[in-house]
Amino acid sequence: METDRPETASSRITGKLSSACYLLYAAGCLFTGILSLRDLLLGYSWYISLPLSGVLTLSFRGGGLSAYFVIILSLLGFCVSVYSAGYARHSRSPWPALLLYGIFVSSMCAVFYSANIPAFLISWETMSLSSYFLVVSDAKNIEASRAGLLYGVMTHIGTAFIIAAFMVMFFATGSLEFSAIRAGLGSAGELRSVIFVLALIGFGTKAGVIPLHTWLPKAHPAAPSNVSALMSGIMIKSGIYGIILVSFDILGAGAGQPAAPLWWGVAALSAGAVSSVMGIMHALMERDIKRLLAYSSVENVGIILLGIGASMIFSFNNLPVFAGLALAAALYHVFNHAIFKGLLFMGAGSAVHATGTKNMEEMGGLVKRMPWTGLFFLIGSVAICALPPFNGFMSEWLTFQSLIVGIKTAAVLTKTFMLLSGAALALTGALAASSFVKAFGISFLGVSRSGKAAGAKESPFSMLAGMGVLSVFCLLAGIFPGYMLRLISDISLPALGGLLQFAPNGFVVSGVSSSGVLPMAVLGTMLAGAAFVFIFPLVAGGRKKSICADPWDCGIRRLTPRMQYTATAFTHPLRRIFKKIYKPRKEVRIEYIVKPFFTREIEYRSEITPLAETYFYRPLTRALHDIAHFARRLQSGNLQLYLGYILGTLVVLLVVWG
Amino acid sequence: MPKAWVVVYSITDFITIGMLLTVVAMNSLKRMESCLRAYTINSILLAALMAVSAFYLDAAHLYIAAAVTLASKGVVIPLLLRKVVRDLKITHEVEPNINTPLSLVITSVLVVIVYSSLSKGIFIEGFTENTLKVSISIILISLFTMITRKKAVTQVIGLLLMENGLFLAGFSLTYGMSTIIELGVVFDVLMGAIILGVFLSQIKKTFIDLDLDKLTTLKG
Repeated sequence: METDRPETASSRITGKLSSACYLLYAAGCLFTGILSLRDLLLGYSWYISLPLSGVLTLSFRGGGLSAYFVIILSLLGFCVSVYSAGYARHSRSPWPALLLYGIFVSSMCAVFYSANIPAFLISWETMSLSSYFLVVSDAKNIEASRAGLLYGVMTHIGTAFIIAAFMVMFFATGSLEFSAIRAGLGSAGELRSVIFVLALIGFGTKAGVIPLHTWLPKAHPAAPSNVSALMSGIMIKSGIYGIILVSFDILGAGAGQPAAPLWWGVAALSAGAVSSVMGIMHALMERDIKRLLAYSSVENVGIILLGIGASMIFSFNNLPVFAGLALAAALYHVFNHAIFKGLLFMGAGSAVHATGTKNMEEMGGLVKRMPWTGLFFLIGSVAICALPPFNGFMSEWLTFQSLIVGIKTAAVLTKTFMLLSGAALALTGALAASSFVKAFGISFLGVSRSGKAAGAKESPFSMLAGMGVLSVFCLLAGIFPGYMLRLISDISLPALGGLLQFAPNGFVVSGVSSSGVLPMAVLGTMLAGAAFVFIFPLVAGGRKKSICADPWDCGIRRLTPRMQYTATAFTHPLRRIFKKIYKPRKEVRIEYIVKPFFTREIEYRSEITPLAETYFYRPLTRALHDIAHFARRLQSGNLQLYLGYILGTLVVLLVVWG
Repeated sequence: MPKAWVVVYSITDFITIGMLLTVVAMNSLKRMESCLRAYTINSILLAALMAVSAFYLDAAHLYIAAAVTLASKGVVIPLLLRKVVRDLKITHEVEPNINTPLSLVITSVLVVIVYSSLSKGIFIEGFTENTLKVSISIILISLFTMITRKKAVTQVIGLLLMENGLFLAGFSLTYGMSTIIELGVVFDVLMGAIILGVFLSQIKKTFIDLDLDKLTTLKG
């Protein structure tokens, strides 16, 4: 953590200047966002081509899907930049981070706007590298540099798959432009499946789909909080963008294109179900607040993939309306997750900044010392738990709807898959709620659990402003879903155009079936309920003398922090229920003075088995090690042996092809 | 003139087989001076082959190539290497990795492999039809010599013999490239020999020995 140092005149100027730069970034984000919003609302699309040399041309296209993602990026980027203006004020040397931050945000923008393969790959790689450097920007933190290394390796494995997918596209069509590839791939046959699988793995690595997620819970907490907000909020969405771009836009898994095989949708749906359930189950067990949020990002990416997979299955079954609905749900959730996860990471960042620890068991009681941060974190938590009237509810509800109407598909297999995924989503929702009850309750409520938490101070205004704007958007996107869906339905994807009609106050799907929700009614009910909670005690209890005491002190009168419920204890029942999956390990070590009567020290340690690492990565790395160990014998260092290899090769070649 | 062609066929075969024999002989020679002599003879035969071809093909530039080959490979490089050998006081090769009788058997097997497999694929018309097979045999046998021997000097000689084989292969396919290329190749070999001579001294200085098995200690 950064430590505050006595302010000198020069450091104050440095701080002011860097804050000003971040505000400049915020203005840039606002400008880009407004332009993209105009593109999207007016259905306007532009195209720029920059020929760099005879063979290399970069081209960019605006409008539609790109504009939608850029709007999300700009909104989040605006708020995070405002937040960063306060967050980075006390940094010792803000300039490298400032520069990388700018590169990071603009390269993400370029990724979304890219219209050909070179432009996409260059901006993709710039995005990956700048975020890598931001993760490792704290040079003294060894954990961060390890996490950064893992991130760098994983992201490049993903990039390798993406490049392979693009190369297949290029060899199948001979063009680097996405538009030409789209036209040329209609007759590519089996190659389309190859492209889909490569793209799903490559982009899935960036999006954090289980089991490719391992970098995510390590890299996101290691980065500075403003960067984690961007990484979790929008950078992993670039993976989602890539999956939608390749499978819907280029390969045309949507309507009006040669039908995509059924298993594409099933693959995406299964990946989504596994990621959402496993992601949130790991989140539940975390004590590190930022790691909890990172795992929850894995879960939300899973929910988005559920929508995408459902959409593919519907378009295979020739149900374009439902396909559109499911895709709209996925896109809506992209927006929602970006803003509430950004909000939560910023809130967690403020808490970490104020207390100097990432461990929730050492926070506690922060809501009294940081009331605004607490409020914003609460709003984010409620939104991510999918409770009305916030935005998370709307998109998850829509995803549910689309999975449940899956019963209308013909085949029993798809029906089963859809319903199982619906069940997985329901389980995810419940577990998410309990994770965030834990996250908020343990770190913000109760009594301070450590001296650091007791001395926490509220964040400066700009940090609160950044979070406040996002909180407002969480509420707005929750009570005006119709406007959001109208925005989404304008995206020129074949599955969506004109098939859905959304009313601004609720939403209605025209055609085969219709369903709706009236968010205003929900809001009204909730307000009435809240009012009732306040009024009822006054009316029922009448005027009585009020006594102020600590809640739940049961007459002890002096509660200590150690009497509080801890995060580990809170999740213990769930750890028991899902024992088969968590495989918890417990270790109790007791040091005795006189055995067995007097103990000197009791050490208790409990941890869960990380599934992907234990059953996928560890065997993989072990196998690689074994192969490498075997191959090492070839390299004896003896010159004659090397010459022997050459002679042997020559003779074999001579005999075989001579 | 048919008679002249019969003569050139047999002269070419005679010279190339001579080159092959010197290379085979390398496998049984123990004294450094003898190895060097085998290389010298091999180079002189190469130069002679070029001169003969120049005579029969009426190609004046091949005379130049032959003269340059003779001067560099037949005179300068052997003298250089002899100086190195005497300076470093190495007279004999130590016991090779594979003993002499077995080496000779393997050598002949290599020749058989080359003859049998090349007769399937590549055909060359004209008086050099055997030359390509001989040259590839020379390349493989010198490589094999480099494998069996332990002293760095013998390795260098093996490498130079291999180069002669490559030169012969190129010649058999093209009947002599243009003079400038031949000069370039010869210059390369000369430079290579000088550099290798310096290397030998350095290896000797570092490891007190020219036994290349010692190089294994460099591996981490």
